Amino acid sequence: MFRAFDWQDLIPLAKGAWLTIQLCAMSGILGVIFGLILGIARTSPSRIARWISTIYISCVRGIPILVIIFFIFFGIPLLFPGLELDKFTSAVIALTCFAAAYVAEIVRGSIEAVSRGQSEAADALGLNYWAKLRYVVMPQARKIMVPPGVGFIIGLVKDSSLVTVTGLVELTHAGNIVTNLTGDPIMTFLTVAAMYFVICYSISLLGRLYEKRTGIQVDPLKLPEPASV
Amino acid sequence: MALYFGDLLPFSSLLLEGLWTALYITLVAMVAGSALGVFLYLGKVGPGKAVSIFCTCYIEAIRNTPLLVQLYLIYFALPALGINLEPIWAAVIGLTLNNAAYTAEIYRAGFESVPHGLREAGKALGMKNAQIVRYIVLLPATRNVFPALTNQLILLFLASSIGSIISLPELTNAIMSVSNTTYRTIEVLAVGGLLYLGVSALLSLASKRAETTLFRWAVGARV
Amino acid sequence: MTVIFVENLNKKFGPNHVLKGVDCHIREREVVCVIGPSGSGKSTFLRCMNGLESITSGSIVINKHRLDDSKTNINLVRQEAGMVFQHFNLFPHLKVIDNVMLAPLKVAKANKDEARAKAEMLLAKVGLAEKMEAFPGSLSGGQMQRVAIARALAMDPKIMLFDEPTSALDPEIVGEVLTVMKDLANEGMTMVVVTHEMGFAREVADRVLFMDQGLIVEEGSPDEIFSSPRNARTQGFLSKVL
Ligand SMILES: Nc1ncnc2c1ncn2[C@@H]1O[C@H](COP(=O)(O)OP(=O)(O)OP(=O)(O)O)[C@@H](O)[C@H]1O
Ligand SMILES: [Mg+2]
Repeated sequence: MFRAFDWQDLIPLAKGAWLTIQLCAMSGILGVIFGLILGIARTSPSRIARWISTIYISCVRGIPILVIIFFIFFGIPLLFPGLELDKFTSAVIALTCFAAAYVAEIVRGSIEAVSRGQSEAADALGLNYWAKLRYVVMPQARKIMVPPGVGFIIGLVKDSSLVTVTGLVELTHAGNIVTNLTGDPIMTFLTVAAMYFVICYSISLLGRLYEKRTGIQVDPLKLPEPASV
Repeated sequence: MALYFGDLLPFSSLLLEGLWTALYITLVAMVAGSALGVFLYLGKVGPGKAVSIFCTCYIEAIRNTPLLVQLYLIYFALPALGINLEPIWAAVIGLTLNNAAYTAEIYRAGFESVPHGLREAGKALGMKNAQIVRYIVLLPATRNVFPALTNQLILLFLASSIGSIISLPELTNAIMSVSNTTYRTIEVLAVGGLLYLGVSALLSLASKRAETTLFRWAVGARV
Repeated sequence: MTVIFVENLNKKFGPNHVLKGVDCHIREREVVCVIGPSGSGKSTFLRCMNGLESITSGSIVINKHRLDDSKTNINLVRQEAGMVFQHFNLFPHLKVIDNVMLAPLKVAKANKDEARAKAEMLLAKVGLAEKMEAFPGSLSGGQMQRVAIARALAMDPKIMLFDEPTSALDPEIVGEVLTVMKDLANEGMTMVVVTHEMGFAREVADRVLFMDQGLIVEEGSPDEIFSSPRNARTQGFLSKVL
């Protein structure tokens, strides 16, 4: 029999929220690392590097994240029999695959924005590609990456809700479990939504603080779109 | 392991039907959502204080919570209030309400990025505010908004895969059920992924085409 | 006959007191150039004259319309005082000819053929007859500014206000815009021109106003201002720019 939704139910939800945060932190960090590599490859002078990263980015951006999650979760054990991945690891891998492509787009956009004027000046100084990237382009690109990066992290938090299909008990899945206990989907999912809101809105407030402190405002129409809806 | 796609053949119509459903809900949600977004945008920037606060809260609430949770609220919570919805309508409503918030923000950014000087030039010619909006701001704003809107269409199409979670038989759902019957998981995921990829690529190509033909005037212009 | 009266004009942007009691009368057919250092309030002064900025205190009368009276129809005043901007502000989505025809059609409710004939005439006058069907994005800066002048003239203004019309142009095309403005002056248009083109001011202006820190510090004929400025600030400014 069902019982009413009460304060005890906040405990599994809070645990789910904590798992969501861990999940996003892990895949966010890994996504940034691989995204940087991909983004730099995307703008590099090497044609092969450009090709590989372009194909990867376009594929990931053209396929729903849910399909990617299924692919990692069901496909990897088939492709690599004997490789035992727990749910958390699979979820991190799936979100990282996805995050890397979006970070790469942000990196590419920022590098191109800086390069337009500065790159020639650096060429004129005789800097080689890596020196130019290291000393001229990246220090400036780093700053303009932050606002879209904030949008990306928020997108990642929202998208992480989809790993619920793997049975990993993150926030949304915790909501499902609590709903089954209480039979009260309204209160449960309103609470879940409120928790997501707090996480995402805090991140966007941090982003706004950064914009205020640095005066860097970014035209939302000129950026690679955030990952998710 | 050996890949074998032959087992999928009998299911091709199932996959295509799934694709059709995905496209259908995407289009309905795009049209309805971007229309609703107009009202949200107007409400947000309009003179009514209460309306403006409501619209802002709605937009922020949607943009800071996952679509899946919104969908759960519609699909599971509405029946608790006595409103029963077919999965397809729950998905359409969810995607529409979600899309409206995003398009409202796109409109806002699009109108804000029309250079202020254009409005001033209109004023200096003696035009009324309504005329300035209609004859001067609207088209450049549309041009600014267009790529973001078509991008939103693609995102919406990809997001429609979420319908599978509430057992709407769209493409992702079809992929998983074919996988469950044939055990050709990798193959069907690859085929399904390619279908998604192909449609998104087509949409993106079509929108680039449309952009250059619709906004010929913008070539070389600083809009 | 005096067509512009500006009396004790004050303008504040929040705490920033930009115009501090400007007085100025301008007669019909007069060409007045306004010069002065950056930030002295020249643009603000000009923009007040067609209501693009509201007035904090004081009065402005343009062609018998009182701008400080809330009952005045500001759009009527704007039809009588055309404005040309530093950055042209052409409507990018309209062809050159449609840029010129827009206000006659929508504001003056002119009929289409007349508006078109007039636009063609004005574009020929500024030397752009062959660019009628082009979009602004394909024009050079000088061409854009000449279209902007034609666009303002299409409303048959009695007064033309120019805010640094050549500052955004490459040096070699400044001349083509100044030529158009000279012709306009010779036809007897009443003009107020904020400019850094001292040569133009010296040659075309009937009177030159020197503004500094929100006040007209000195005024006189071009000869008086450029050859024997009395005020120390005018002297300082001119010694830097000439
Ligand atoms: N919309 C505005 N809001 C706040 N302050 C303004 C605004 N417009 C102008 N100002 C301030 O008014 C002062 C005068 O500006 P104005 O543009 O009139 O100077 P200017 O003489 O035209 O200078 P320039 O030669 O650089 O064009 C400046 O200090 C400027 O910062
Ligand atoms: Mg100025």
